[in-house]
Amino acid sequence: MRIEEYKDMIYACGRCNYCKGIDFDDRCPEIFTQYWESSTARGRMAIARGILEGNLDYSEDLAERIFGCFMCARCKEECKKAAQIDVIAITKAMRADFVDLGIKIPEGGDKLAETALSSGNIFADTPAIHNQWTEGLEFTKGSGTLFYPGCLASHRFKEKTNILVRVLQAAGYTLDFLDDEQTCCGTPLWVTGKVANAKQWALDFLEKLQARGVKEIITPCPSCFRAFDEEYPELLGLETFPISVRHTSEVLEEIVEKKKLKFTVPINKKVTYHDPCEIGRYRDIYNPARNVFKALPGIEFVEMARNKEDAFCCGGGGAVKTMYEDHSNNVAVERIQDFIKTGAELMTSICPACELNLTHGTYAAKIEVRVLDVAELIAVAAGIVDEEILDADYFPDD
Amino acid sequence: MVDVKKVTKLLGEVVSPARVSDKDFDLIPYSRDLSPARQKLPTHVVIPESCEEIQGILKIANEQDVPVYVRGGGTSHWDAFLAQEPGIMLDMGKMNKIVDINETDLVVTVQPNCTWAKLDRELRKQGLTYLCSEAGGPAMTVGGSVMKAGSGPHSTAKFGAHGNTDVVTLEMVLPNGDVVETGSAAWPSAGKFERQCLGPDLAGMFIGAEGILGICTELTMRIRPATDIQERLVAIMPTLDSVIEFGHFINRHVGDEYLQGIYLWVDPSAPDVFMLMMDIFGYEEEIVNHRREKIIAKVKELGGEFGDRAPADDYYGHILTGLTDLFVAGVWHFFGSGTLRIDDIKFMYDIWKNELIGKRGYTKAGFGGQVLPRRWLAFMVTNYREPEEWDELVKMCDGIDEIILDGPVVPYGVGGRDGLRNIVASRDTGYYRLLKTLKRTLDPKNILQRGIFIPEEELR
Repeated sequence: MRIEEYKDMIYACGRCNYCKGIDFDDRCPEIFTQYWESSTARGRMAIARGILEGNLDYSEDLAERIFGCFMCARCKEECKKAAQIDVIAITKAMRADFVDLGIKIPEGGDKLAETALSSGNIFADTPAIHNQWTEGLEFTKGSGTLFYPGCLASHRFKEKTNILVRVLQAAGYTLDFLDDEQTCCGTPLWVTGKVANAKQWALDFLEKLQARGVKEIITPCPSCFRAFDEEYPELLGLETFPISVRHTSEVLEEIVEKKKLKFTVPINKKVTYHDPCEIGRYRDIYNPARNVFKALPGIEFVEMARNKEDAFCCGGGGAVKTMYEDHSNNVAVERIQDFIKTGAELMTSICPACELNLTHGTYAAKIEVRVLDVAELIAVAAGIVDEEILDADYFPDD
Repeated sequence: MVDVKKVTKLLGEVVSPARVSDKDFDLIPYSRDLSPARQKLPTHVVIPESCEEIQGILKIANEQDVPVYVRGGGTSHWDAFLAQEPGIMLDMGKMNKIVDINETDLVVTVQPNCTWAKLDRELRKQGLTYLCSEAGGPAMTVGGSVMKAGSGPHSTAKFGAHGNTDVVTLEMVLPNGDVVETGSAAWPSAGKFERQCLGPDLAGMFIGAEGILGICTELTMRIRPATDIQERLVAIMPTLDSVIEFGHFINRHVGDEYLQGIYLWVDPSAPDVFMLMMDIFGYEEEIVNHRREKIIAKVKELGGEFGDRAPADDYYGHILTGLTDLFVAGVWHFFGSGTLRIDDIKFMYDIWKNELIGKRGYTKAGFGGQVLPRRWLAFMVTNYREPEEWDELVKMCDGIDEIILDGPVVPYGVGGRDGLRNIVASRDTGYYRLLKTLKRTLDPKNILQRGIFIPEEELR
């Protein structure tokens, strides 16, 4: 079993319950949706220990506790104080054990991975549909700087992604794009425990990138960012990925810092920001978006009560959206309550999955508010797009 | 033998079936606490949301003869809330609300699983505080602390352990399902403002009983204005005698209310270095300064030296948010702990130094304690590796417990079969016989916390 690799960490859990938090479910979105101690990191360590000691078996019933984890790393953050357990690595290993042992995993997870494997992206889009967002844009093949949007930004956020590229190009970045050769980064494979094909996937992808002369990848998706920067090297046994990978948060901050664009259009809105787990807690990238807001005219920035390391998940993590959609939506609604309490007019983030789930959260909470990417605010301030996209009743064509 | 499926069905009729589980993977997380107590699995876990639901659960438990155990934050140090027999585990997690903050009467009413951190956060918004003493971090609950008469490194030299003076009223569900309110709340047309009112202090009967006489469903506690004046000192004392004299000084010469915390720590790597961390308490800067000067003068007179306050900032500063590097050297075990007269700290220290370090050669356990009004709560604590060091460590610690409790030390925390209950039972005191009588009377079927505090066979 893969969890054997983490035996020391599993036994290091001192059962302090820091992971659960001070208010039952104010930290962990899984216990927020499933109540049980078995949904917490402490509970998961007890389960893993039970399995290691032969007192418990993986089972189909257990799947909801393991695949219902949003992998938001809030517990891992808290455990830094106590036992420094890598709960995410152990959760991934447990999911992989399910698959290795042939135990049924949630149907949505199965489909997600199979769709990515069979069609090349998680929506089974044809290349023509998947690349619709590029309408009106031109890319420079072989520029060395690859813009890699990932599945969600390509399929679901055509306008946002188009705007992001216009911002980057206006700021002087010469971007390449894989066009019909673009496939999923592979995250659905390891996040659902289907790691058997992942190594080959990563190898093929790396070869494709190197053959094209890619020196740097810029991606708006934190999962894709981590796929290339963390998962691929691990799968391929490399110390570091041979291609530089940057999330757009850092690139947008660079645009502001180096004054690559002039911001002349005031936003005139009260704005808050949701920290995506996979760049925030996973990578300590908290400040770029906040620094961008400081540079844009007319923004009144206000923090949600749970922010940065303490940010509550949007509900979009861990592929829970595809496996337990109600859980995912309930967490999104809870996060939207944090937004409402700020009195802000705009919710922003810098992750397609967060932006999608938070948008669903606004529908469920029955509020009319836009969930925008940080790049969209830059685009408005720089006069690249009309400020109508800030309006609560604006509805993009995509 | 528990008819698991039948009990699951019955429980699902009094609480939502979504809050009842008999699945092995849901039970196993409730099988351990913070101590090295052996794993003990319940047959069910139920998450009640109200006093009425708890009454319903107890009715089923009595009818089906299934014991009921109560779980708060799950961080007991002595096997006090694990299922000693197959039975129903109540996860009190959802009963965590702050019911009322009464700014004029200076009392707060909370449900038992409200954490100290949550309570403190809300009180401070109104310029109030409770002055929580425990270092259990974010998970430590008000109900859990009071039901075990808890205390910790921030115990106030003025106020003592939880339950000494701060509990005003309790709402308890008795094992037969009756709901009892104590103190002024016992009088239906009065309110929640006073502990000692109508007849005997029944709250005291439940505090420290580790849940064997009733399930706490609501507590009203004294609160007080917060003080934003922070004076913190760290002193290194030359001898244990100087520590003792300083303890007497705090209690006798300058009054109980000088310090919120006075915490002694002796590291096993330097067993003759006595570090004292102190938080000075007071509302007026002038008063705090006066107290600080008196303390400084006394420490110097006793040959002590003041050092960097960083260790105290690190320790006291994380009491509610979680101490750092908790399990880096392994998981925790507190042992050899108890309450004792200030002079008697030498007895415990000698056992730590001579028996544990000297004779047994065990050099991983530190020695610590805090001065409460007129006494110490002292302990030994170690980190160890599970599973490899488990058996040996437990055997050694049990031996130390035996020696300690043969001396002038009252057990702190009794618990189940892996706690101190057998040592307590073996003394067969009048107090213990009265406790057994109370237990038999209130809980004739021994439903509640069966096997905790009193071995099951003692009640047959």
